[in-house]
Amino acid sequence: MTLDVPASALPSRKLKLNVLYLLGIIAIIWLMFFSMGISASSFMVDFHFVWDLMEQMFPPHVSLLWTNRSLFISLVDTLSMAFLATIVGGGIALVIAFFAATNTTPHPIVRLASRTLLVMQRNIPSLIIILVLLLAVGIGPFAAVLTLTIGSVGLFGKLFADAIEQADKGIAESVLSVGSSHMQMVRYAILPQVMPSFVANLFYAFDVNLRAAIPLGVFGGGGIGFELAFANGLLHYKDVMAYTILIVLMITGMERLSDWARRSIITQPQLNTR
Amino acid sequence: MASAGFFQTVPAGQDTPFMQWKRGIAMQRWKQVAIAVLLIALVWLSAWRCEVHIATFVLGVNKGLPIVEMFFPPEWGDILGMLPALGVTTVMALIATIFGMIFSLPCALAASTNIAPKPVRLVMRCFIALERGLPEIVQLLLLIAIFGLGAIPGLLALCISSIGMLAKLLADGIEEIEPHMLEAVAGTGATSSQVVRYAVIPEILPALLAQGLFRFEFNVRAGVILGALGAGGIGYIMSTAMASLDYQRACMATLLTLALTFGTERVSDFLRSRVLRGGMLK
Repeated sequence: MTLDVPASALPSRKLKLNVLYLLGIIAIIWLMFFSMGISASSFMVDFHFVWDLMEQMFPPHVSLLWTNRSLFISLVDTLSMAFLATIVGGGIALVIAFFAATNTTPHPIVRLASRTLLVMQRNIPSLIIILVLLLAVGIGPFAAVLTLTIGSVGLFGKLFADAIEQADKGIAESVLSVGSSHMQMVRYAILPQVMPSFVANLFYAFDVNLRAAIPLGVFGGGGIGFELAFANGLLHYKDVMAYTILIVLMITGMERLSDWARRSIITQPQLNTR
Repeated sequence: MASAGFFQTVPAGQDTPFMQWKRGIAMQRWKQVAIAVLLIALVWLSAWRCEVHIATFVLGVNKGLPIVEMFFPPEWGDILGMLPALGVTTVMALIATIFGMIFSLPCALAASTNIAPKPVRLVMRCFIALERGLPEIVQLLLLIAIFGLGAIPGLLALCISSIGMLAKLLADGIEEIEPHMLEAVAGTGATSSQVVRYAVIPEILPALLAQGLFRFEFNVRAGVILGALGAGGIGYIMSTAMASLDYQRACMATLLTLALTFGTERVSDFLRSRVLRGGMLK
């Protein structure tokens, strides 16, 4: 015996497909967890232990902020690492970007070479760079600055090159048509067009570098990251909490500042909003 | 106005438009000089703080080149042993990205002016700012103290910072949605959850996917560093190899990481361009 069910009462094809997709995604996620050997029970920890940790952390030693002078020096160190890497890296990235963009490159082979260079710089993990540089230039902020510089050249060289390629061709052609050289075309037609996005991206780069400077500090690059890892290694959790608060304040403040500066200086919309 | 003013006589004690323009240019010049001086001072200050010396750099290059030579040839025999670790790093980043995307959507809805009531919004904005302000490394150190060494603290740290980053971008995206769209859907008698479903989500879904893909790239790179600090994976192998001065093994790990990051960048670039052209959602 068959039941006569009207077709409208049955789940539609779309719904079935959606359920299928959902089940597939859940299965994939479950498989990934399974492959790592993580089950739901591994997230269950002894909360008594967490509570103990919290008791060790609170109240944070906020008094460190005014008793420990070296704290602010290391904060300034971290800021200056990010700043220096942004300025130097941004400058180098701009030069390489002009070689890497199709419309300004002197020769296609130069373009290929500089694109490859950018890909390499972007993809070599900063971990390995800092580990090599620590051996080469010694423990200290300088190694971290060089590492951050290499990373920002890679990332922002690509962004700048893309911005240059999106520049208006007509202006370049009209400047060339009055008899200017290739350099003059770049100076008077391309550079004014890409400068706003360049400056906006520099502020963004500062944000990124500031965040990246903290883990590099842990590996021996100095700055606030080093202080934090040091306190953590000594199990001085109240100090750790105070440093954490300071780091959050610094990053949030700098982000606000760079957002504000980007919005007030740049009238043109940023080309790459990611 | 300017062309009319050019030929008119200017009353005494008042500048011609040309002079005004010239003064404006001079002002701008001064501004540029001031900015340049400020920048140079800041660079000098930070170079002093960071102990930047050209001599150190030259010495470092001379010292560094023999070290780099020690990395070659890479130890190809280790490649099979490292693949599971590479998988751990990838899966860690992938799970963190997926969960970050899932959780960032409600956070973004609660943080945007045109959807959420004010108290909820303020609390959510503060929460997001906190998540963004806490570097992964700090989260990782705290989470390791809770969960112990392993992939779980790394996963959670990446997940939390992904939520923060994605939620902020999405909330900004939601706030830019035209009010007419929301009104039009609400005008048909839709409840607020239906407004979210039919007006907000279709609008921000491409952005969510594109930013999520970008975030995946970032998570892979951050996962390598977190791995070295105790989250396992290829970063851990790399740092232990470096610490035991086994440079050729470290070189192999670096090459694998390079392949991984390059691959994820390609894949995410490809998928992102498809998403942004609308090919994937239709």
